[in-house]
Amino acid sequence: MDADLERYRRQVRLPEIGEDGQRRLRASSVLVAGCGALGSVAAVLLVRAGVGRVVVADRDIVDRANLHRQLLYDDDDAATPTPKAQAAARHLARANPDVRCEAVVADLDRTNVPRLVESVDLVIDGADNYELRFLVNEACVRAGRPFVSGAAIGTYGLQFTVLPGETACYACLVDEIPAPGTTPTCETAGILGTVSTIVAATQATEALKVLTGRRDRVRRTLWAFDAWEGTRSEVAIVRRTGADGCPVCAQGRYDWLEGRLGGPAVRLCGRDMVQVPPPAGGRVDLDAVAAGLPADAGVFRSPFLLRFTARGCEVTLFPDGRALVRGTDDPGRARAIVAEHLGM
Amino acid sequence: MIYLDNAATTFPKPDAVWDAMDRFARNDAGNPGRSGHRFATAAAAQVEGAREEVAQVIGAPDPSRVALCLNATDALSMVFHGVLHPGDHVVTSRMEHNSVVRPLNALARAGVITVDRVPNDAAGVVDPDALAALLRPTTRLVAMTWASNAFGTIQPVQAIARHAKAHGAMLLLDASQAVGSLPVDVAEVPVDLLAFPGHKGLLGPMGTGALWVREGVEVAPWREGGTGGDSTNPFQPDVLPHRLEGGTPNAHGLAGLRAGCRWVRERGVATIRAHEQALVARLLDGLGSIGGLTVHGSTNAEDRTGAVSFTLAGMDPHEVASILESAFGIAVRAGLHCAPEAHAALGTAPAGTVRASVGPFTTTADIDALVAALGALATVTTPPHSA
Repeated sequence: MDADLERYRRQVRLPEIGEDGQRRLRASSVLVAGCGALGSVAAVLLVRAGVGRVVVADRDIVDRANLHRQLLYDDDDAATPTPKAQAAARHLARANPDVRCEAVVADLDRTNVPRLVESVDLVIDGADNYELRFLVNEACVRAGRPFVSGAAIGTYGLQFTVLPGETACYACLVDEIPAPGTTPTCETAGILGTVSTIVAATQATEALKVLTGRRDRVRRTLWAFDAWEGTRSEVAIVRRTGADGCPVCAQGRYDWLEGRLGGPAVRLCGRDMVQVPPPAGGRVDLDAVAAGLPADAGVFRSPFLLRFTARGCEVTLFPDGRALVRGTDDPGRARAIVAEHLGM
Repeated sequence: MIYLDNAATTFPKPDAVWDAMDRFARNDAGNPGRSGHRFATAAAAQVEGAREEVAQVIGAPDPSRVALCLNATDALSMVFHGVLHPGDHVVTSRMEHNSVVRPLNALARAGVITVDRVPNDAAGVVDPDALAALLRPTTRLVAMTWASNAFGTIQPVQAIARHAKAHGAMLLLDASQAVGSLPVDVAEVPVDLLAFPGHKGLLGPMGTGALWVREGVEVAPWREGGTGGDSTNPFQPDVLPHRLEGGTPNAHGLAGLRAGCRWVRERGVATIRAHEQALVARLLDGLGSIGGLTVHGSTNAEDRTGAVSFTLAGMDPHEVASILESAFGIAVRAGLHCAPEAHAALGTAPAGTVRASVGPFTTTADIDALVAALGALATVTTPPHSA
């Protein structure tokens, strides 16, 4: 075995990988879109497995509430405001110095996602919100890059891989974004660290199949499980083809990429305040959001707004879903805080 | 939705504006004056037609003194970079938009000019006598707004112009909030330079504006380039408007501006003003009865444009604007309105105000809806901010 493969010998020994697969891995590149519980774990597995280049992108900072499940980070990262992408790239580089690890500290949006997606062979879904998933899905379908999606909430996880042109895409699976605030988020419903880790490991596994040239082995179903109950199921996802089929992969309409849906968060002049635009999916049920808030969130509800504190910022949420986040001038951070409560 | 942000840009525009642009774009849109063919000459005629219409609205006898440009900022920058020289002194006010504040600050920081600011009263009205006291032999330019975009305050432009003229200083008025909405007549006000956009009171599309230059006033070109004629001249031509109009103009937009100006003239500025003033009076009356609501600037509709700025006790202006849109379907503007100095001058910095601004298509029902919404909002107590 070549000396440069020595590090991976117990992986190379697997007939599924072999020397050829390992070399293919080293020549490949991955974008981890969102570096939370899924992204950070999938990233470290792929880095240790010997993927050549891993780009980790995230808008948020490491928070102590992340540490029970986001295995890549530690207390030092959470002690001072440290961008997740930066902390991740630093830890990843130590996990395997052979891998080129790049940090992108940015709110992923239509201005930067296409370039990032086109620069890699495959994308790992590390998003904590629907808008980013839809956006990245569109970019992957358009650029023909596999999109390995995953999600985890409570004790429940699921995983589904989009192979553009072969399988259904994320928009075939979820045809409409649920109304903001109506779906649970890790902040409102909780999350078991083992569950997100299982999903992330599954995403990494599917990614390894693609990157070692075994695309044919990629599971074509939606895989779902409840780790606590020990139940699991697989569902075939049908491509919505034809002229009235999936707007993204059948009709080639890229509403998020082309800016017909979604909008930028705006810093308000000199105010330490950011306005986050209303999410897609319609009006927000402020009472439902309020019900999911912890008792110490300083909740105030009037007929016109819901106000609460989250991660040191004051969030004011309006019925159409827009939010004002006071206490930060960073649009990415403001969006991240809102997403934790709306799942948008 | 109810649109009450006409001070930012008027909306909607008359159908005639879109019709004119559509017709021009589909049938005639050559490069104005750049060739001899039908399309180029038709486009040139369109541009000259817009120039004539604009001149008519402001009472300018000679349309060639109207340089067409992108917006009021463009027109103002043409003046600042075209008339000021090292050592010049400029007098301005504290009620200005950033389109006046920023270029003057930049020139002052670069050591080119010195700037003084005239004080104003609690309604934002500048004191003409205080202005006179600031004028020096080196004062080359007095630059101020005709009416404040943030508070709607109309300035005593006649008195200001008299003082500037008496001291031999040039007067530049930023008429962004005035042209098309207030009676503006350069034959009556001895102003030297009048800068204004096409997309506000003149009801044209965005990307259009104008600078009117009084006969005898020289503005050096800031933007130099092709003018369609006099091509053998190695320098920018001396004659207006070409001197200030290097480059292909926004002829599509100017076709719309021409139609907008015609609409304004047919309706009559006096009629538009009466309509807007009545709406503002109704608004001020309604707002006066809402507890915890403060109107900033004059409470007399005669002294104001169609823009009314207010705050609600204990509520951030952005919160008020967000509620007005999301719960009541009313679009207003919140914050500093690109005029941070004006808010500092009137004590509304750094949060700013909520600004509702009416236009020719605003109705009394729109005003009543706003007043009702604010009345409902004011009855709900909101706790102070925690962060």
